[in-house]
Amino acid sequence: MSLPAFLEVDHVDRVFPTPQGAYVALKDVHLRIAKGEFICVIGHSGCGKSTLLNIVAGLDRASAGGIVLQGREVRDPGPDRMVVFQNHSLLPWLTVRQNVALGVNRVLKHLPKEERRAIVAEHLEMVGLTAAADKFPREISGGMKQRVGIARALAIRPELLLLDEPFGALDALTRGRLQEQLMEICNRHEISALMVTHDVDEALLLSDRVIMMTNGPSARIGHVLPVPLPRPRSRMEVIHDPSYYRLRGELVEFLNHQKYLKKERARHQQAAVVARGSIEKTNLTLGFIPLSDCAPFAVAVEKGFFAKHGLDVTLSREPSWNAIAEGMREGRLDAAQMVTGMPLFLSLGVGNQPPLPVRTSLTLSRNGNAITLSRRLYDQGVSDLSTLKQYLSTLTPQRKPTMGMVHSASMHNFLLRHWLASGGIQPDQDLDVIAVPPPQMIANLTSGSILGYCVGEPWNIRAVDEKVGFVAIATMDLWSGHAEKVLGVRQDWAEQYPNTYLALTKALLEACAYCAPFDHRDEIAALLSQGTYLNADSRYIRPGLAGPYDLGTGKSLYRQEFCRFDGNAPHYSEQLWVLTQMVRWQMTLPPANYDALLREMISLSVYQRAIAELEFPPTSDSMAPITLWDGTVFDPTLPLAVR
Amino acid sequence: MSVSTLPKKSRLSLDVVSLARKNAPQVVPVVVCLAGFFLIWQILCGAPTSPIPAPLRIVSDSQLLITRPFFEKSDQLKDAYTRANLAELYNQMPNQGLGWQVLTSLRRVLTGYAMSAIAGVGIGLLIGSNIMFYRGLDPIIQVMRTVPPLAWLPIALAGLKQAEPATIFLIFITAVWPILINTAVGVQQVPQDYRNVARVLRLNRFEYFWTILLPSAAPYIFTGLRIAVGLSWLAIVAAEMIQGGVGIGSFIWDAYNSARETGISDIIVALVYVGIVGLLLDKLVFLLGRLIVQSEA
Repeated sequence: MSLPAFLEVDHVDRVFPTPQGAYVALKDVHLRIAKGEFICVIGHSGCGKSTLLNIVAGLDRASAGGIVLQGREVRDPGPDRMVVFQNHSLLPWLTVRQNVALGVNRVLKHLPKEERRAIVAEHLEMVGLTAAADKFPREISGGMKQRVGIARALAIRPELLLLDEPFGALDALTRGRLQEQLMEICNRHEISALMVTHDVDEALLLSDRVIMMTNGPSARIGHVLPVPLPRPRSRMEVIHDPSYYRLRGELVEFLNHQKYLKKERARHQQAAVVARGSIEKTNLTLGFIPLSDCAPFAVAVEKGFFAKHGLDVTLSREPSWNAIAEGMREGRLDAAQMVTGMPLFLSLGVGNQPPLPVRTSLTLSRNGNAITLSRRLYDQGVSDLSTLKQYLSTLTPQRKPTMGMVHSASMHNFLLRHWLASGGIQPDQDLDVIAVPPPQMIANLTSGSILGYCVGEPWNIRAVDEKVGFVAIATMDLWSGHAEKVLGVRQDWAEQYPNTYLALTKALLEACAYCAPFDHRDEIAALLSQGTYLNADSRYIRPGLAGPYDLGTGKSLYRQEFCRFDGNAPHYSEQLWVLTQMVRWQMTLPPANYDALLREMISLSVYQRAIAELEFPPTSDSMAPITLWDGTVFDPTLPLAVR
Repeated sequence: MSVSTLPKKSRLSLDVVSLARKNAPQVVPVVVCLAGFFLIWQILCGAPTSPIPAPLRIVSDSQLLITRPFFEKSDQLKDAYTRANLAELYNQMPNQGLGWQVLTSLRRVLTGYAMSAIAGVGIGLLIGSNIMFYRGLDPIIQVMRTVPPLAWLPIALAGLKQAEPATIFLIFITAVWPILINTAVGVQQVPQDYRNVARVLRLNRFEYFWTILLPSAAPYIFTGLRIAVGLSWLAIVAAEMIQGGVGIGSFIWDAYNSARETGISDIIVALVYVGIVGLLLDKLVFLLGRLIVQSEA
């Protein structure tokens, strides 16, 4: 990462002045492209994809930030970043050959005339247009024009090729042929490419990474999807790759979610802040993921805890943890259920995102996850960590084996990695660990694109029930009582609405207290099975809350503590452990001011005031060492002593 | 075209029939309308006392003008007419046929038109590509272009002292505005896509001018040239009517002033000439434009 990138889009903003005031088209777009890398930018229309491309091309200027190509800043267009325009932009008064020759004669003027002529002929040959070389653009078809555009761009030997929906207007057959030609040429000549498209399959076929842009205004890079499909690729091979549909699903899900957000945002704009009494904002939208441990949110609505504390809450069911992070960043969500590491993840700005300071006042649930492995592995004798290691060593895969987890800042990720590493399986080396939204886990397991995953309920029970997986271990057996889901709000929100924050904490504390006793669990399972929450049969939900928990190996566990809703204090020690894990897995460098950062992030005072006002028994902020199942001891007073 | 390659005559005649059949939908309405037009004209103006002659009378009155566009008066011709008892008719005839008159007018038009094309395209390119020039000159151009051509004549005569250069100046000043304005617009309308191509390839000003700007503005320039050629032809007739001498305009004015019996018939024949030449000029510029301009479509 520290190597100088071939091309760096350095925190670019683009603001257009309009009569109604400034319109922010792009906000803080940061992107690095390596030599020979093919990047696709995907997003809905109006997301600023073309603006981004024009800025890289030098045809448009960034309002802030800049473009660095091979270590030097570029502000003007130039032949080193040749553009293939959306509408081909051939000069109609020049023949096909003359159009290609125009650039060659200009850019490669140091070469002798004969050589230049040969280059033009070679590139016309390359795109199969030798026969049409002396025709005018109006005499050839749309596909041929676009091929001329590509030949013109390639003939001047650019270091970076910029393509603005080059195949958008073509029929499917021509498009397919041109895509394969383009891919072949870029591979052969090690040309880097940045391509704007709205075609999901095109993006997957061509790119090494897909950049997904959020909707404008203030469009940003929402998510970056690496495409680890082996090269050289062909369309037929690619679509039969087991991971293809996972990748495709992720892109489509992102685009669908962006569409949904657009609608939401239009609705949200009307919802002004409603204050009542001392509560600065009573109308709240809270994000949650449909998992068993979202129970406190469901209970707080259904049992009237929000209403009791003067809040008018709308729950927003989110498709992925990334969607929650996005919702917080955009301000669409007032507060959300988060995986334990997410407040830190956002506050530090991990993953090339600008830091978004987040506050957390509450641990909503503890334990509740399990590691599920594919049934196919079980049939081949894999039952635990050591047999898994044996199994992996017998594989001679073309692709690295992959396991899923829900978000890189989740306990699922950290505990899965710790578990694998403790058994001598090195994550990232022996095996990839990737983020997959919980509802897509089983489909990916079934298709064979992942060997297994770590996820919350009902997705382990579901895999067992459908006989596609078995539970290898529950995370409570790795770290008993680990923090699982927490409440997260933005720092600026917390400062603007302190009484709302307190009321929200109190309402959820009461809801957690309602969820905690074992004899309420049947009622909660029935509640969660409703359409607005998990929309699943309660036979999938009940085992994770109240047992019996079938592992799929003939064994059943019946353990009340599989998912806990007590112990709600936000612990400094746990967040510090999360930070050490982020450093361990090279997600971030250790921040120098980590102590202050963590103490600011954890709204201990809000929690303490909430339990005091509710007259709950006080809990102390534990600084006790954390012991994991493999004997690893983490002493929060000596964080650097343990990795 | 395919006719010439056919070997047998019978096939040829067959082809003529099929050709006629194919073109009938275009030709028939024109013939019918023309016939109707002449018929109505003949009926309305058929009376011997009518101030406007009917078509049949025009044919007999202006026989010579119609049949011999390039005659010149000579003793030989006079003898021939006298022998045929047509001495009176001969005396009333102009000195030259209408063909000569038209050619004289055309020469003036083309001189003035060529000057206006050079000046119009040149200045048009300048003000089209420089916003400051455009802002500065636009008001002047907007006022000047609305001045009717004939209003320039007194100034031209006062300035140039002679009829010939004054007429040419008049053509110039009439034709230059549409060329200039259209060229300027053409330059301003160079599509952003083409400009982007030029910017990415880093074309220098000279290359940009020849490979992008001029070809891109060409359709606009030719629109201006086509409007201008029509205006020139309109202006030449008016100018020559006023200043006399040779030329189609002078011919018309002379024929009117001479008050001879066949005067109006001669004028009508001359008008047909003017119309046809104007049409041909317009088509000529149009075809020239189509030959040179390579457009997208």
